This record gives sequence, structure tokens and C-alpha cells, in this order.
Amino acid sequence: MSTHETSQTASTEVPDVADPILEIRDAEVYFDMDRGVSRVLDNVSVDIERGEVLGIVGESGSGKSMLASALLDAVVDPGILSGQITYHPGDGSSVDVLGLEKEQLRQLRWEDISMVFQGAMSSFNPTMKVGGHFEETLEAHDYDVDAGMERARELLSDLYLEPERVLDSFPHELSGGMQQRALIALSVVLEPNVLVMDEPTAALDLLMQRSILSLLEDLKEKYDLTLIFITHDLPLIAELADRLAVMYAFELIEIGTSDEILGDAAHPYTRSLLNATPNLDAPLSEMQAIEGSAPDPVNVPSGCSYHPRCPLADEECVSEDPEFRPTFTENHQAACFHWQDSAEVIPFNIERSDTSEVDDE
Amino acid sequence: MNWFIKRIGQGLFTIFAVASLTFVLIRTMPGSPAQQLAADIRQNQPSLSARQINVMVEQRIGVDPDQPMHEAYMNYMLNLAQGNLGESVNYQEPVADIILRSLPWTAFVMSVSLLFVFIFGIGLGAIMAYREGSKFDVGSSIIAIFLSSVPYYVAAVVMIYVLALELSLFPLSGRYPRGVEPGFTLEFFTGALHHAVLPAASFIVTTWGGFALGMRGNSIQVLGNDYIRVAKLRGLSDRRIALRYVGRNAILPMWTSFLITVGFMFGASIILEEIFTYRGIGYYMFDSIENRDYPVMMGTFLVITVSVVIAVLVADITYGKLDPRVESGGGDESY
Repeated sequence: MSTHETSQTASTEVPDVADPILEIRDAEVYFDMDRGVSRVLDNVSVDIERGEVLGIVGESGSGKSMLASALLDAVVDPGILSGQITYHPGDGSSVDVLGLEKEQLRQLRWEDISMVFQGAMSSFNPTMKVGGHFEETLEAHDYDVDAGMERARELLSDLYLEPERVLDSFPHELSGGMQQRALIALSVVLEPNVLVMDEPTAALDLLMQRSILSLLEDLKEKYDLTLIFITHDLPLIAELADRLAVMYAFELIEIGTSDEILGDAAHPYTRSLLNATPNLDAPLSEMQAIEGSAPDPVNVPSGCSYHPRCPLADEECVSEDPEFRPTFTENHQAACFHWQDSAEVIPFNIERSDTSEVDDE
Repeated sequence: MNWFIKRIGQGLFTIFAVASLTFVLIRTMPGSPAQQLAADIRQNQPSLSARQINVMVEQRIGVDPDQPMHEAYMNYMLNLAQGNLGESVNYQEPVADIILRSLPWTAFVMSVSLLFVFIFGIGLGAIMAYREGSKFDVGSSIIAIFLSSVPYYVAAVVMIYVLALELSLFPLSGRYPRGVEPGFTLEFFTGALHHAVLPAASFIVTTWGGFALGMRGNSIQVLGNDYIRVAKLRGLSDRRIALRYVGRNAILPMWTSFLITVGFMFGASIILEEIFTYRGIGYYMFDSIENRDYPVMMGTFLVITVSVVIAVLVADITYGKLDPRVESGGGDESY
């Protein structure tokens, strides 16, 4: 065991948002394993604003999917989720997600907070027609099936699918992109307020990724969705997201608007991550991999978990875990003692002004 | 449709090929009905001369056992094509009659066995998968592995000893109680069921384990699929997930092996019915081998062949209906 147990749980200071739809405080997920406790989500606190698109970025195994599952209290067994997740439906009330009874939780999922998983190909029952999935979901939640199916058809045509053909097909009769779009339609058929997307485009080709992203933007406008988009593909989400949150070693390490993160990333990890991202504008030789490897969830380094790989690390980083602190602006926060120096030590290998312009659209 | 005809054609060819092979195998077995009969007569009436015995044999059998094999084969196949299975040497009655008389009994025991094997195997396997790693799962797995390693005839002998001889719970042999007239009466039906329990139980006890372990494995695999997790999050009832999601997808791969078990059971009925003196198709087959009764041997063997071919054909044709991913029209049966 590391000394990580001692990390402070009081750090509840998160960037303010005007009208939070979800408030996550000290969310923690751990698994008891033979070789120790595996902490796969470590004291994550963040507010999600109504109607925003929040991109959550991080490398594989950084806890992104755990955070997504936690929002629906759907962490896989035998993982144990603790902390506080509050959902504000918008009528002034608030719901303590982790304190819900089984039946209330069943209703909250899909009706209020819905989710699209990675790998749409495996999200449908292979022996049931796509339409059957819509019908059984509506029935399970006591919705009017006829009206619901009408909505399903509209959703499918919004996603540029032929509703009748898709509903009458078995999953294997659809292409990957079609399945993914059908899954998105299925996830919003009960008109949820929040849609959590866990790498929804991971298995698709680049063109399909782009087109699904633009479809999502339209869908979000039309149905007033709050989108939480989880991906390892930073440039992809930067165009869609209002804000970006970066995860490393099961913690949030930086959060800010997309422009702020792309233009003035404060955390050394974010800067290195951006430098490591392939980009058409940059020659391959300029790409810089991050030395070392991501930490083991059973044995996360003490202090700042990034210190073994960080060029700025000093004794303070080894002994103390940095809290979130405001950086260039009040709401652009990073968990780093030396964020002021990061730009100097880790300069960007390309200018990202082009991307920023796209964001402003 | 084209595929359908092709598939049936393949089935018919299989039957033809097996019939030919069986014919050759049976004829090349040492000993013939004539020799068998001659030996019998010699034993019973040692005073007769070889010449007298030969005359008697020819009278009794009515067929010429010395006919060359290719001629006999042509004759047999031509008769077979006309639906004539020939006449039993031993019983002096048409083979078709013997089959018609005995097949329903074998089919009866088999249906009961299959029904219970399916229910026990699939049901227990699914429960084991849901409780993977529990004491119930571990215990059932051990029992299932143990019982499927026991040969059915050993199980039969043990059951005869314990349940029929020692405890006298079930009859030792026969198909229905002595003195009861076969017919649509309750007495006959319950009697027949009572007599079928031990033969069926020998099958069930030694076969369910394989199905349970198969179902367990399939279910665990299905349970690990993303679509189960998505279905849970969508708020579907546990019942619906268990039946429509886990059950349906886990049973599918077992369907083919289930139907092939039908063929296996016909084969097993030979020894089992001999043990229980249960006059089904297997009993007559065993009996015909002992008596070198060629026509009965051929006839009963053909029944087994035809039933296996039909079972596999049914499996092939229905699989496409059960699993939408497999189209019946697809040329290759790659499952």
C-alpha cells in the first residue's frame, strides 16, 4: 500500500458553474484485490453545468470509464463507489444518486441520466431486433409505447437512419456506424437530461467519428441534453466540448474551457498529452511521447501521482498531493504546485490557434 | 429452398451410404444365419446328419445364405427402395413389423429422458452461472463432472441393484406390468411410465451433467457481454434479462448438440434395453446380433441412421430460425 490513504478528502473546491445539473463530490471507486486495494477513481469532484458539453479526457486506464459508470451508480461488481453525487432535475429539487432505493435508481437511469457505451456492436442483444430494444425499454419504464416509438423514429431520422429499416433489423444487419447511431437513439428515447458517452466513437473510422460528433451537436440542441463525453482523443472532443476535464491516475488534474486547456494548459501532464497527440499539422518527428508509464491502481505514487514522469517534480510533489487551484482564470483549475512554470518547461510543439477558432463556432 | 432440397439430398445420400456400409460390415462378420442355425440344430439334435441339417436350415430360413454378396446387396437395396425391409430369420415376421412394434417404446423412453436432461441440464446450468463461484456452483459442477464420467450402463446396473433389487421401488425389466392390456387406459399408462423410469433415469443421470456444464459456460460468457449490462441499465426486469437475454443466447449453441444427443441415445439404447430387457429397438438389435438375424440387424441399424440424419437435418433447418445471425440459406454450416 502506498501512503495514498492519507490524501485529503476535504478538497471540495471545484470550479463554479451557474446551474449545476450534476454535482460530484469525492467520488471514489475501489476494488478489493488479492494484492491490495485497487483505487480506480480517487476523490473526483466536479460540477456539470446544465446544457454544457463536458469532455473528459485521459489515457487508457486513467479512470474515465469509472467516472462515467459512477454517474449512474453503475460501477461493476465488486467495485465499491463512495462519495456524493447530486442530481438537479431542474425543478428545484435535488436527488442524492448514491442514496437511491433500487427502484428509484432504476427509474433515474435512462429516464434522467442515460449512457452510451463504447462498442455499440456489443450493446444490442444479437437475437433481438433493434426495434425490440426500443419497445422493451419503453415498457420497462411505463412509457407510452406508441408515442415512444414515434419519438424513436424521429430520433433515428435525426441521426440520418431509415427508421423502419433499422427498427426491423437485427443488430448484425447494421454497420458499426449505424449501430452506434441506433444506440444513441436508444439512449435518448426516454428523453433524459444527461447523456454520458463513454468513448462512443472508439470503434469507428475517422469519418464516422466526425459525423457522429456533428450529429450529437444537433441532438443536444434539439433535445436540451447535457453531454458528458469521455474519450482519449483530445482533438476530437475539443471541437464539441465547452469544457474539458483531464484525468490522470484516477484523479482529475485539470479542468477548464476547451480554449483554456488547448491554448494554455496549466498542468504539465496536459501539456505533454497535447504534445503526444498526433496531428496532421505537425510533423511526426515533433510528436513527443510521455516517458514512463501510467501508474498501477494498487500502488499510486505518493504525493502528486504524476511526479515520477514530470520534469517539474521536486520534493514537495513527492511528499504532498497538490489540490485543485485556480490558474490563469478562476475556473481554469489544475492540481499542480508548479503550473506557472509548466509552459516554459514544456512548450507546445505546434500552435493550436486553428483548433481554438473552430471551438468558437 | 434450393438449399433445403440440397440438404435433404445430402441426408438421403448419407442414409444410402450408411446402409451400404452396414450391409457389407454385417455380411463380413464371422458366422452367418445358416451356420448359426445349423449349430443350434446340431446341439439340440446331435443324431442328425450334416445333410439333414442343411435341408432343415434351408427350409427354416427360406433365403439362400450362399448368394454372392453383390447379388444380395442389389436385392436388398431394391427391396429397401420399395420400403421392404425383408423378413426376420428368427421371428419369421416382417422386419417392419418388429420395428413398428418396438420403436414407440424406445422413442417413449428417449423423449422422457431428453425432456428431463434438457430441463435439468439447462436449468441447473443457468443457476450455476448466475451463482458462479458459490458453493452451489462448485458442488453442482463436481457432481456434474462425476456423473457425466459414469457410463450409462454402469448407472443402469447400479440402479437395478439399488432401486429394483434392494428397495423394490421399480420393476426389474419389461415394458409394462404383466396382465395389463395395452390400450388407452390409465393403468397401462402409469404402468408403462413406472417401467420406463429406470432406463430413462440411467440416461438422465449420466447425460444432464454435460448439458449443465455447457449451459453454465455459455451463460457465464453471455453474462459478461456488454448488452447484458446495457439491458440492466435500461431498467429491464431481471426475469426478462434472464429469459430473453441470457437464456436465449446461451441455449442457442446447445441446440445442435441437443439434437445430436438423440442419435447418441439410439445407440445407447442397444445396451440399455438389453440390461433392462426392455423390448425396444435396441433390444431387438442386440437380439438380432446374437442370432445373426441379418434383416433385423439391417433394419434396426437403418432406424438409428435415419433418426440421426433427421435429427441433424432438423438442427440445421431450425438453427437458422432460432439464431438470426445464421441464415438457413447460407451454404456452410459453420456452427
